[in-house]
Amino acid sequence: MADWLLLHYKLPSEPSAPRVYVWRKLKRLGAVLFQDAVWVLPQNPRTLEQFQWLAAEIREMGGETALWQAQLTLKDSREELVREFQAQSDLAYAEILEQLDRPDPDLEGLSRQYQQLSQKDYFPSRMGQRAREALLSKRGGLS
Amino acid sequence: MKWVTWEYIVVDRMASTWLIRRFIDPQAEFIFIPAGQKPLPEGAEPFDIPGVKYSHHRGHCTFHSLLKEYKLKDPVLSRIAAIVDEADVVQKVAVEPAAPGLDLICRALRRTSSDDYEAVRRAQVLYDALYAELSADENPVP
Repeated sequence: MADWLLLHYKLPSEPSAPRVYVWRKLKRLGAVLFQDAVWVLPQNPRTLEQFQWLAAEIREMGGETALWQAQLTLKDSREELVREFQAQSDLAYAEILEQLDRPDPDLEGLSRQYQQLSQKDYFPSRMGQRAREALLSKRGGLS
Repeated sequence: MKWVTWEYIVVDRMASTWLIRRFIDPQAEFIFIPAGQKPLPEGAEPFDIPGVKYSHHRGHCTFHSLLKEYKLKDPVLSRIAAIVDEADVVQKVAVEPAAPGLDLICRALRRTSSDDYEAVRRAQVLYDALYAELSADENPVP
């Protein structure tokens, strides 16, 4: 099985709603926009299915799209790509950690945010582990 | 009737096979084809394949489309549709805490099934149980 999925698409510039819809969905899936050219996800049965559905939706909305299964041939480009995924997650985890440091943080909201994030954290970063531990330590109670 | 879908079924297709057998077509016979294979086999109703009638529409899952097309008005089925929707489709707003759990359990069931036919059989047990539990929620004992 190939390692990566690449999605490329074009939607009419008007109306803008479908473009916003697709962009948000890509962000929620945790896809990375590589070199402003193509959206990338690591391949597993779930990401493959999600990208297939998104491609079908783009066609339904009158757009053009292509979905590739791909393999990188240079080792360092794989590392660069993985770093991009991690940087994206780290940024969001850092936001949670920052909120947790403030007085009286919204623990329910932040743990929901953490759960959503962890579903698209494809290459688990240390920042994610820190956010998890910070949330758990705020849970309180007797240990 | 024959029904066809892509192989390696998980949450939405498991729920859909259960719905079809229990509420739409008790004699349903399922055919599983590799993802993306064309043309689709003749004489079989396709579901959960991009572009067909019983599939994802307007951000909803296939289970949801089947309920709508067959005008099934059971509130327990609507609730299952809401959970499967959140488990299978990337949603911004989430109100069903069971959704990520159901997604995980279905993936786990498929992983430990020898093929899709076994997955269909095991999904029946899971969704029958889910239906019974949610029915109790709908009709609490006074």
